[in-house]
Amino acid sequence: MGQVTLLGLGNILLSDEGVGVWAVREVARRFRLPAAVEVVDGGTAGLDLLPYVEDREHLLVVDAVQFQREPGFVGWLEGEEVLAGGGAQASLHHLGLREVLGAARLLDRAPREVLLLGVQPHSLATGVGLSPCLQARLPAVVAEIISRLTAWGYPPLGPAEPGG
Amino acid sequence: MAKRITIDPITRIEGHLRIDCEIDNGRVTNAWSSGQMWRGIEVILQGRDPRDAPTYTQRICGVCTTVHALASVRAIENALKLEVPLNAQYIRNLIIAAHAIHDHIVHFYILSALDWVDITSALKADPKKTAQLAESLSSWHRNHVQEFKAVQDKLKAVVDSGQLGIFANGYWGHPAMKLPPEVNLLAATHYLQALEYQRKANMIVSILGSKTPHVATLVPGGVSCAVNLESPSALNTERLFYIKSIIDELGDFVRQVYLVDVCAVGALYADWTQYGAGVTNYLSVPELPMDTKGTVFRLPGGYIKNGDLKTYTPITSYQDDFFREGVKESIKHSWYEGEWTKHPWDETTQPRYTGFQDQGKYSWVKSPSFYDQPAQVGPLANVLCMYAAGHGPTRKYVEQALGLVSKLAGTQVGPEALHSTIGRHAARAIRCAVLTEELNVQWQALMDNIAKGDLAICTPYPFRPGESRGFGFHEAPRGVLSHWIVIDSNRIKNYQAVVPSTWNAGPRNHHDALGPYEASLVGNPVADPERPLEVLRTVHSFDPCLACAIHLHDPRGRVLTQVRAL
Repeated sequence: MGQVTLLGLGNILLSDEGVGVWAVREVARRFRLPAAVEVVDGGTAGLDLLPYVEDREHLLVVDAVQFQREPGFVGWLEGEEVLAGGGAQASLHHLGLREVLGAARLLDRAPREVLLLGVQPHSLATGVGLSPCLQARLPAVVAEIISRLTAWGYPPLGPAEPGG
Repeated sequence: MAKRITIDPITRIEGHLRIDCEIDNGRVTNAWSSGQMWRGIEVILQGRDPRDAPTYTQRICGVCTTVHALASVRAIENALKLEVPLNAQYIRNLIIAAHAIHDHIVHFYILSALDWVDITSALKADPKKTAQLAESLSSWHRNHVQEFKAVQDKLKAVVDSGQLGIFANGYWGHPAMKLPPEVNLLAATHYLQALEYQRKANMIVSILGSKTPHVATLVPGGVSCAVNLESPSALNTERLFYIKSIIDELGDFVRQVYLVDVCAVGALYADWTQYGAGVTNYLSVPELPMDTKGTVFRLPGGYIKNGDLKTYTPITSYQDDFFREGVKESIKHSWYEGEWTKHPWDETTQPRYTGFQDQGKYSWVKSPSFYDQPAQVGPLANVLCMYAAGHGPTRKYVEQALGLVSKLAGTQVGPEALHSTIGRHAARAIRCAVLTEELNVQWQALMDNIAKGDLAICTPYPFRPGESRGFGFHEAPRGVLSHWIVIDSNRIKNYQAVVPSTWNAGPRNHHDALGPYEASLVGNPVADPERPLEVLRTVHSFDPCLACAIHLHDPRGRVLTQVRAL
């Protein structure tokens, strides 16, 4: 059981809506991570995600966020900000991240620290794959994730094995 | 003077739904159900390899990932005439049953209990009296005073902190809330336990699907998880016995807690057996196939007309013409190009948004029909069809549930009460109890088959030149799901998914007949148009799933739910 979950959320059928999923997949593709770090493609799931957040030391969520900023803007949300937004109403899901964290809290198994790395989307049109604008920002998003994992004491062990 | 209310979106559901009601003298007189999203999966799949369909269709929705993968592989198997090895059928059946149990538990406790249960009232309950009540209803080993006291303390802390979190969308203190404090505390305690048990059910899906969300082992022709009782890297004895231990725990929770709670709530809200019947043509499909071709099933399915169980017509196989020929979809009232009614194989999906018109187009959801009639799908349709077919376990749990309701309500309640808002909840719990027994049947069938030395899990995928058409159906937690595929030389030429919530949440059809949500709301009471709890009760009883609203975090936590009383 990892102490850290890196959780990508979003719907990959709606172009930039899936940026969180593409970002964590990119991290897993490029880096060998410590065994304590679990990378999860959460899609648009709700309570299915409960086992991935319970009792974690750190939870790093990556998702599309409506910052009302220029496309590709990257920003952090912390603790209560994560719980305030992205709930039942703003979610693809009746049970969004807020509900999953709320359920973990009710069970006294909430993660100790929750951070959300948000990326302002450009297009939410039906289609698989990121807009060119966000595709170009993906390395910067990955770098943010890696520097956060490093700050928590879980730097990558090295580049991923080719084809691994 | 009629009052018009708009609830947009309905919360505690999957995806976005807008409901409009006209209310006159405290009753709903007219209703519109509008799906506020466009799915577009059909467009994404055109031109792709059919083997990609299970992967992409799982992404339509967060809750229903597994069910789409399954309908998708069945549609491909049907088009390419692929048989499925027995082990694969049993493994799929275990996944189906475990997933549905997870889904039904989540629906009752987490998505709809707050329509009936008042958390703030639970704070006033006496834990001792709650324990006495609980013991009179059930032998559940966790119904003791310490557990009720602990939960009550926890709820107090949540309410005092103002951080309602998961309870934020309840209508506390609404005049339509009628449960005594002890029943509210009992239900709230089981709400917390339900969070644990839904996770256990999901564990079975994780093991057999290799991961959740988005199971990876469902492939056209079978499954991709090797079975080998001795191998550490395959589905082995240790894993199978671990699954068995979860099956036993789930059975206890569903039969001693979930089914009992639904009966208790139902008996105390007996007036809700009078509301919410709506469309009483019921459609369901047979499920849990026990042979390689899909002609022998553990659970029957079929069609009932006008609520009359004597009209039950079974659907008998994956080649059944009765089902294949009966399904059509209309876009007369949906935001797509044209105004046709077509068979899924012949449909097009060209979105064209034109605004909300009461008499014209007003929804992204198409309107399905079965032999020209709207039909209700879901656990109620499924249970009524199984009951009409004389299915033993279904009859047993229907009688058990109605017996308990009659005892608690102090009056004889018969199967006719099932055609209602509260009846949909009862049927879901009954179906869930049936499925816990099925988990055991499927587990034993898999063990016995492996013991015979049969280790086959998948039929090789063939290449067929030219055009093949197929359909796959699945009795999903929310009802009949069917995928329709046209393959041309190993490329997808057309793909349509007719999902359960399309049947139920669909707008008026080509004859302007109301869809099931709409029809079920007419006659519904509404005490306070500003807080239309009763409308939510009926809509939630269907377990709406309209995935695909946009899920964006808004750091300013804007409230998007608006109830406008005009």
